[in-house]
Amino acid sequence: MADVTTIAAEAREGTGTGAARAARRAGKVPGVLYGGKDGATHVSFAAEDIQREVKRRGFLQHLYDVKVDGKTVRALPRDVQFHPVTDQPIHVDFQRITGHSRIRVLVGVQFINEGASPGIKRGGVLNAVRREIEVTCPADAIPESIVVDLTGLDIGASVHISHISLPEGVRPTILDRDFTVATVAPPTVQAVEPTPGAAAAAEGEGEGEGAEAKPAAEAGDAKKPAAEAKKPADSKK
Amino acid sequence: MQQPKRTKYRKQFKGRVHGMARSYTRLNFGSYGMKASEPARVTARQIEAARRTITRHLKRAGRIWVTIFPDVPVSTKPAEVRMGKGKGAPEYWMCRVKPGRIMFEVDGVGEELAREAFRLGAAKLPMATRVVGRLL
Repeated sequence: MADVTTIAAEAREGTGTGAARAARRAGKVPGVLYGGKDGATHVSFAAEDIQREVKRRGFLQHLYDVKVDGKTVRALPRDVQFHPVTDQPIHVDFQRITGHSRIRVLVGVQFINEGASPGIKRGGVLNAVRREIEVTCPADAIPESIVVDLTGLDIGASVHISHISLPEGVRPTILDRDFTVATVAPPTVQAVEPTPGAAAAAEGEGEGEGAEAKPAAEAGDAKKPAAEAKKPADSKK
Repeated sequence: MQQPKRTKYRKQFKGRVHGMARSYTRLNFGSYGMKASEPARVTARQIEAARRTITRHLKRAGRIWVTIFPDVPVSTKPAEVRMGKGKGAPEYWMCRVKPGRIMFEVDGVGEELAREAFRLGAAKLPMATRVVGRLL
């Protein structure tokens, strides 16, 4: 990823919850800039700038030139804290990037050619085991995404890291095993209501739509025990 | 309907739902999720009704995860019974949901289908909800 975005910040007085809250009340998002030879610098960003950048795909893989009080520092966003209800960013961490250092970074996985997978065509579900893969790479060459081609993947088949071609200089951090990135799972089946009659059949089936296909008579029989089953089980009487 | 297999005690205090969710506020499994915007007590029946609605609307496509579990027993007194004489019998199960909590997640379907399924499912739940997608 070659393009670097410039983002304005201002140094912030004080540390801790009180100072961070004061910054938020002033319409800013508190953050910290750390790493390199300098110590940690507490900064704040304009809320709209950070919100716009966070919504971009691959925010944590994108380099930024952070302008703090006239000085520009190249940095990589390392963490974002979100408000639990509104999902607005409430704190951002930036790490200074120096020279041609190699860094560890999580890169998102992008799946392509879903239409060319016979398993997905037959109703299988793409089960993304890893949506992100941690890699080490040069700081100035972070891949935008890791592309996984699903062509020819049938139900039950899986994609491992060895099947994926990574860009030059990019290595996964897990090297001791050929880990799974995605599988094509069979379509889900409706969970059957745990009734005495149907209990044995339902065992181990999981979720899905099968219960709707049950004969009407059987469904009618199932109503009574289901009503009894709703009461909490008395394990200690 | 979901309910615990066994419990340490049969009856619990009513409790209150205070504060915001501290955990499970981001998606863990799927691409889209339903997030609670208000605090509420959600019963096992409501969870099951919402789950069924979502599953039916998705028409067997994709996967669904239910990420809340009703583990709080609620007791009620029978009709026409005077007050006193002890706490009523356990009647149903519920779960205390704080705002910000992800309750359902889906994967393997498009955004429009997921949003519509969650809209229909949310009608079965006792609080306002919001559909969230993956950030970062």
